[in-house]
Amino acid sequence: MRKIWLIATTTYRRRIRSGTFLFLTFGLPVLMVIAGAIPFIRAWGGDLPAVGYVDQTGRLAPVTQVPIEDATLTLSAYADTGAAQTAFQRGEIAGYLVIPDDYFQGQPAAFYAEEEPGGKLEEALTAFMRRAMLPDEPAWTLDRLANPSEVTYVARDSGEEIAEGPAVAVRFATPLVLALVFAIAVLTGASQMGSAIVREKDQRSMEMIITSLAPRELVAGKVLGMTLLSLTQLGVWAVGGGIAIGLALSSAVDVQTLSIPWETPMWALLLGVPGYFLYAVLASGLGVMAGDSQQAQQLAGILGLLGLAPLWFMGLLINALNGPLAVGLTMFPLTGPMIGLVRMALVEVPTWQLITSLAILVASLIGSIWLVARIFRAAMLMYGQALRPQQLLQALLEA
Amino acid sequence: MTRSTHALEVRDISKTYTTVRAVERLSFEVHKGEIFGLLGPNGAGKTTSIRMILDIIKPDAGQISVLGGTMTEATKSRIGYLPEERGLYEDMTLLDTLLFLGQLKDLTRQTARARAETYLHEVELWDARDLKIKALSRGMNQKAQFVAATMHEPDLIIVDEPFSGLDPVNTRIIKNLLYRMCDRGAAIMMSTHQMHQVEEMCQRILLIDHGSRVLYGPLDEIRWQFASNAVEVDLRGELDQVPGVERLVSRNGGYRLLLQDGVQPEQLLKTLVNMPEITVERFERVETSLDEIFVRVVGRKVTNEEGTA
Repeated sequence: MRKIWLIATTTYRRRIRSGTFLFLTFGLPVLMVIAGAIPFIRAWGGDLPAVGYVDQTGRLAPVTQVPIEDATLTLSAYADTGAAQTAFQRGEIAGYLVIPDDYFQGQPAAFYAEEEPGGKLEEALTAFMRRAMLPDEPAWTLDRLANPSEVTYVARDSGEEIAEGPAVAVRFATPLVLALVFAIAVLTGASQMGSAIVREKDQRSMEMIITSLAPRELVAGKVLGMTLLSLTQLGVWAVGGGIAIGLALSSAVDVQTLSIPWETPMWALLLGVPGYFLYAVLASGLGVMAGDSQQAQQLAGILGLLGLAPLWFMGLLINALNGPLAVGLTMFPLTGPMIGLVRMALVEVPTWQLITSLAILVASLIGSIWLVARIFRAAMLMYGQALRPQQLLQALLEA
Repeated sequence: MTRSTHALEVRDISKTYTTVRAVERLSFEVHKGEIFGLLGPNGAGKTTSIRMILDIIKPDAGQISVLGGTMTEATKSRIGYLPEERGLYEDMTLLDTLLFLGQLKDLTRQTARARAETYLHEVELWDARDLKIKALSRGMNQKAQFVAATMHEPDLIIVDEPFSGLDPVNTRIIKNLLYRMCDRGAAIMMSTHQMHQVEEMCQRILLIDHGSRVLYGPLDEIRWQFASNAVEVDLRGELDQVPGVERLVSRNGGYRLLLQDGVQPEQLLKTLVNMPEITVERFERVETSLDEIFVRVVGRKVTNEEGTA
């Protein structure tokens, strides 16, 4: 175990210092955070500026102060757009709202300003319209009107409650997002194993290393090191993505109302981790058999396509998520993690199916490590040559 | 009970790749505290034999006993191997590489560091410890590989062409390190084509060709065995063809004559004395160089094969 860990940490340290890895790992989240921060910055924007309005309907009540959360919008009424425009040009107001005379027949109001109002000002202007149209109604009526159809969905069997809106979306999106994370992890991490092994062969270092430890220890150490690397990358992306999503949502959603059922991340971990290792081990086996990096990438690409098989059958699957094809793909070790999570998003998946899928996955992983270690011994010293079928067969029979 | 003096015992090992017989019923021993030469032309089966000894590939038949038993993971830490196909991780520094490889051989990190420091000073690479492997010259790389293969002070050291790419000064450094390890009791098996190095360093040799043993035993005995076949003569006159002489080479105003099998130097002397066109001034049996022995043994086989083809 000590040597496996030594191989893993050395692999990790060597790869994490590469420029490509650093750029991919940190560049992407920086872009995500910047993208997520834009609406937050605009909504946050500090105090609300003074604005004007022109009521061409003549039916709105005069309103000069609109409190919202931690700020107050100050408004000035103008008799016509000319007066509002003059005040705007003098810098007395940051913009002005024109409510046209046919507003109550469905025409929209128009807001004139140097730039688009942020989310906070938009919210204040909406609150102003409610107050101006219904001046005599109490505050709670106006609050209710802001969100008139709030519904909580209750599961009849379990009694579990889910509030409507973002909470429902988050609940159903979580398994899909986790399935996507699994696919990204496989494509960016596990499938790179083959190239890593080919690089090892190219550097002619294998012969010296293999006389210090067993082939299975080298395979296990490489897979573990690359997995740690992939987890680091995913972790940085998750933190970046989390901050970006948090910033983007914080201006519109109360994050505290969001909840994720515990079964989802549990099954994502139980199926995802061995699923990832299975891909990594198989990709390293393909790397051992490949003659060069290009061939290893091509073979890994085929493996990646297998992993994305659920997408090919999505048309068939979506209509029968508990049908034989869906159940079969859940049991197949290369598609099990992804299809299992996709099904969990949309239907109730029987627990026995998930447990069986996990058992098959773990058995396949153990079998693939055994198989790859055998191939490894035969092919590791074939520099620049691919393993021929008869050599592969001999290796499997011999070792 | 006596302890075995053999660090390595190979008994009747064979290996076939698809249809090519790489090694055939090969047997030999390497003693503790000796430098043993493994010789043979390219493709003779030397690397395959080494890889079978190191358990990198399995023999089809035969037994190998390494350091008193079959190869185990624990045994691997008592073996040092400098392969012919050399390579270290190019993106790692020299010191990190040695720490990594030393720990793979069961040294603690502290011990690996101490050993790396000692050996790097000895091979004059301490100042290059923080350079990446890809920044090292060929000779530096060669010395780094040697240190990586031996810094755990193994009991059996297998080195394949240890002096390739080294200038005479660095060759001397590596040679001294090998002598010291040998004095410590380590068995050293050296595969090389540099026959003068074998003559200088090895006590016993094994010459293989086409996977089979051709010559095996103490170097002195082998040289004695081949010594009678060569004489040096100084003479007046010109020599062209001489009965009983296989090869005739003119050198330093005289001749070196390589005798045919079964021809004794005394017979040749009589032949020369009886040749009226020359006068023999000096006649001396010479020790045959290993280089000549190699060419004779391997070359003869090649010639025979060409003749029967």
